[in-house]
Amino acid sequence: MSEIISAPQDTPYAEPLGVYVHVPFCASTCDFCAFYQTTPTADGVDRFLQGIANEAALVSWSRPVTTVFWGGGTPGLLAPDDIRRLGAILQPRLGGRPVEWTVEMAPASVTAARLAALKEIGVTRISMGAQSFQPALLDGLGRQHTREQIFRAYERIRTADFASVNLDLMFALPGQDEAAWLADLNEALALAPDHLSTYCLTFEEDTKLWVKLSKGQVKLDVEHEARLYETTWARLEAAGYAQYEVSNFARPGHACLHNLNTWRMHEWIGLGPSAASQHAGWRGANVSDLDQWLAQITRGERLSEDRVALTPALLVEDALIFGVRMNAGVDLAALRRRFPRAPWAAVANETALLTEAGLAGITDGCLRLTPRGRLLADSVGTRLMQAFSEEIST
Amino acid sequence: MDVLHTRNFCIIAHVDHGKTTLSDRLLEYTNTVAQRVLTAQHLDAMDLEKERGITIKSHPVTMLYTAKDMQVYRLNLMDTPGHVDFSYEVSRSLAACEGALLLIDAAQGVEAQTVANAHLAFGQNLKVIPVINKIDLPSANLELCAKQLEDILTISAEEAILASGKSGIGIQDILEAVVQRVPPPRWADYPQTRALVFDSLYDSYRGVIAYIRVFSGVIKAGDMMMLMSNGQKSEVKEVGVFMPKMTKISLLEPGAVGYIVTNVKDTADIKTGDTITIASKPAQDPLPGYKEVRPMVFCGLYPLESNDYEKLKAALGRLRLNDAAFLYSSESSIALGFGFRCGFLGLLHMEIIQERIRREHDVEIISTYPSVVYHVKPHGKPEIDVDNPVNLPDPGTIEYISEPTIKASIHIPNDSMGDILALVMEKRGSVEHTDTLDANRVMLSCVLPLNEILVDFNDRLKSITHGYGSMDYELGAYSVSDLVKMDIMINGDPVDAFSSIVHREKAEGKGRVLCEKLAEIIPPQMFKVAIQAAIGGKVIARDNVKEMRKDVTAKCYGGDISRKRKLLDKQKEGKKKMKMIGKVNIPPDTFIQILKN
Ligand SMILES: Nc1nc2c(ncn2[C@@H]2O[C@H](COP(=O)(O)OP(=O)(O)O)[C@@H](O)[C@H]2O)c(=O)[nH]1
Ligand code: SF4
Repeated sequence: MSEIISAPQDTPYAEPLGVYVHVPFCASTCDFCAFYQTTPTADGVDRFLQGIANEAALVSWSRPVTTVFWGGGTPGLLAPDDIRRLGAILQPRLGGRPVEWTVEMAPASVTAARLAALKEIGVTRISMGAQSFQPALLDGLGRQHTREQIFRAYERIRTADFASVNLDLMFALPGQDEAAWLADLNEALALAPDHLSTYCLTFEEDTKLWVKLSKGQVKLDVEHEARLYETTWARLEAAGYAQYEVSNFARPGHACLHNLNTWRMHEWIGLGPSAASQHAGWRGANVSDLDQWLAQITRGERLSEDRVALTPALLVEDALIFGVRMNAGVDLAALRRRFPRAPWAAVANETALLTEAGLAGITDGCLRLTPRGRLLADSVGTRLMQAFSEEIST
Repeated sequence: MDVLHTRNFCIIAHVDHGKTTLSDRLLEYTNTVAQRVLTAQHLDAMDLEKERGITIKSHPVTMLYTAKDMQVYRLNLMDTPGHVDFSYEVSRSLAACEGALLLIDAAQGVEAQTVANAHLAFGQNLKVIPVINKIDLPSANLELCAKQLEDILTISAEEAILASGKSGIGIQDILEAVVQRVPPPRWADYPQTRALVFDSLYDSYRGVIAYIRVFSGVIKAGDMMMLMSNGQKSEVKEVGVFMPKMTKISLLEPGAVGYIVTNVKDTADIKTGDTITIASKPAQDPLPGYKEVRPMVFCGLYPLESNDYEKLKAALGRLRLNDAAFLYSSESSIALGFGFRCGFLGLLHMEIIQERIRREHDVEIISTYPSVVYHVKPHGKPEIDVDNPVNLPDPGTIEYISEPTIKASIHIPNDSMGDILALVMEKRGSVEHTDTLDANRVMLSCVLPLNEILVDFNDRLKSITHGYGSMDYELGAYSVSDLVKMDIMINGDPVDAFSSIVHREKAEGKGRVLCEKLAEIIPPQMFKVAIQAAIGGKVIARDNVKEMRKDVTAKCYGGDISRKRKLLDKQKEGKKKMKMIGKVNIPPDTFIQILKN
């Protein structure tokens, strides 16, 4: 163990760098949502923007920023001027035009004025949370938009001409059978977005849906979920959307680079309440509360939560367990060059077992999960972690 | 008080026929216990006994009764454990008496235990006084009871006393009958002191207290006594009688029932059935009927929480102090961890000990499938006893295996005859003969392997007969049988706690059930996991653990990494606590869940 920690940290220059901004405002809270967000007030937004400026000033970086991602919350809820203000805070620090700049939007608040502001500051990619096209299902999620709003918003986004547009959809919703999900998928495909994210409904603690689940008002059906995953993968592949991660699909050239870089365990700087960072030897997150975050920033503090030092051992382990979620898999040879002292024998053992069971395979030096293995990515991750800890402890 | 004014007797009855109630009435009538002190059911001391309405430990009591002849008699009432598991104890209690009241519930008539107990009493040459009890019940059927007495028990119905413990009818008649019909204590003229040990108790201050019936001679404090089975000597520190509390007196005379306090530290050293004599003038012959009791049923007991091991050990130790028939030794199992192999007289004894561990010692335990003691004969070597399938020698070296059988008498309503015959067949039993009890009931005399009644025989008997059936049994001979060891394997690795010795023809069925249960309870696995039942490497049943279908987080972005790691870490730690069998991580309570039902 000590050997690995003391190994020189190897962070090549050419490494990509991301900037993530968490905009913590939503018009209302969706029933499935566990993200940190709050109701926007003029004063709240103002203090938030000031906080971002102050926090950005606390972090130093020298290489150009590859990708920017504004998530939330609903960044698209910011007024056009606030969008410009946030853009202006970041721009001087980007070192040029980022390759990709994503902003998340909600259908109900997509306006031409906002889109214009986004275009103006250099945003290249819009990700819109459609979730479903069926009014009853939208209602069941507590979403505040209508089917018509999705269409109208999508048209506006297309008109504004961003390089890439994503739609988020959710499946395995209570009361949604396979046919209903296919209908939703088909409606989304008819819009021909560049990218699709399809999320199996997850019951996060402390959400309304979680309460329903624990009261037995909705039921978990793992087999049904698995089938919907498979349906999704088949349908999207047929439609020309290549899967590149468990829940992400894109037409050629439209995969989200920001996220890919995250999964490859590159660096990113997170700004805003609850935003996570992985940068300059540390991983951590900001406190999930606007006022506390502001107070910490004022004191010159950040990343007070889940703070861990990024040792090579940790990075290689995470590159593996999060990397296998990607269809491209993990380039074992490259990883091995980066972290030669990791317990590769144990990993090889484990991958042999996975391969034998038809859950994974190694092609061109890359460890890739089969579709069956991908459905078990968490279990695979646990086993890989186990392989690591066993070897290190002996 | 002289021998001529002493009577020693007991009450024998089927469970619930009113023995306890009647005993209390007798104590009350003779003013042995003031009425207000009489908690219901005075003689059954342990809670558990009260709950189950059975007596496990005998509690004798001495009553003074002024009979119609105006003479005062000393009547010693021996309480007898009513269950077959304790039949040796019953036989020793009976051996301490000259007479027995045979209770029959007027509404129920003769039942399995009535017959079994009556035969035990005849076997001891006791004067049996039939008492038809609960005659206050509207459903009392005196004619039928009289007929059954004559037909089934060959006792003249004219001898029967009609009584009701509840309403206090016939109490004096009973006491008079004891005085008149039960002979005075036998063998009082034997030249040396002889006393029968019929029970013992461990007292943390005074050590072992033996309950004895003096046949001849006297025993007093200061005597150096000797146990005739092994010649062990000990000083008598105190003698006394039960009034019903232990009451110290100066000496115990012939015919007396009482207790002695000795220097002996372990109940196992003063065994029920042994004869006590005086070391300086020892008797030549012991009293008849002494026998070493050996546990018949074994099982592993394991603490549910592994850190309760020491607590369980202490509990077993304490229970053992009072119960020489209960044995234990430590063992360990891959599936269940560290625990104990325990031996019991029978199923009820096993249940009672387990229950007492839980209740009185507050340790949660799990038990493995019970096993009987097999006699295994290896080629060219003498027979060995095997009480744990794990210890069965390699099948190739075995000449034969024999198993204990029982002689059961099963009382059932006529209309369940077909189903009960099928049950007996299923349990590899045979019906020797059938007797008609009355217009509605028959008695089947069967021989069954003890092993087959260990698990659910009684429950099924009760359910087939809607609760009307009853069974009693005594141990029969060992008989050679086609027995094999069946292993249960997970991915080829045997799970020791599930190995069992079964009849070859039963193996497949039992194996299939176990495989199915395990396959169902083991959580879905990433890899193919085979559960197999095998005899000597030959697979006879198999099943597969369900394959895991989906275990993947939908959203996993930068902000989720720390959280996700924690989750995976937790799963990883969880797996460390699991047992690894056949490369499969099995949650710790899997085996427990299966053993539970
Ligand atoms: N009607 C009636 N019920 C009785 C009589 N004696 C006992 N019982 C009831 O029968 C049940 C069993 O009595 P118990 O003395 O505990 O029987 P044991 O199991 O033989 O000791 C209890 O519910 C008693 O109340 C009796 O003489 N008449
Ligand atoms: S809009 Fe997004 S962030 Fe806001 S509550 Fe709904 S799901 Fe959560």
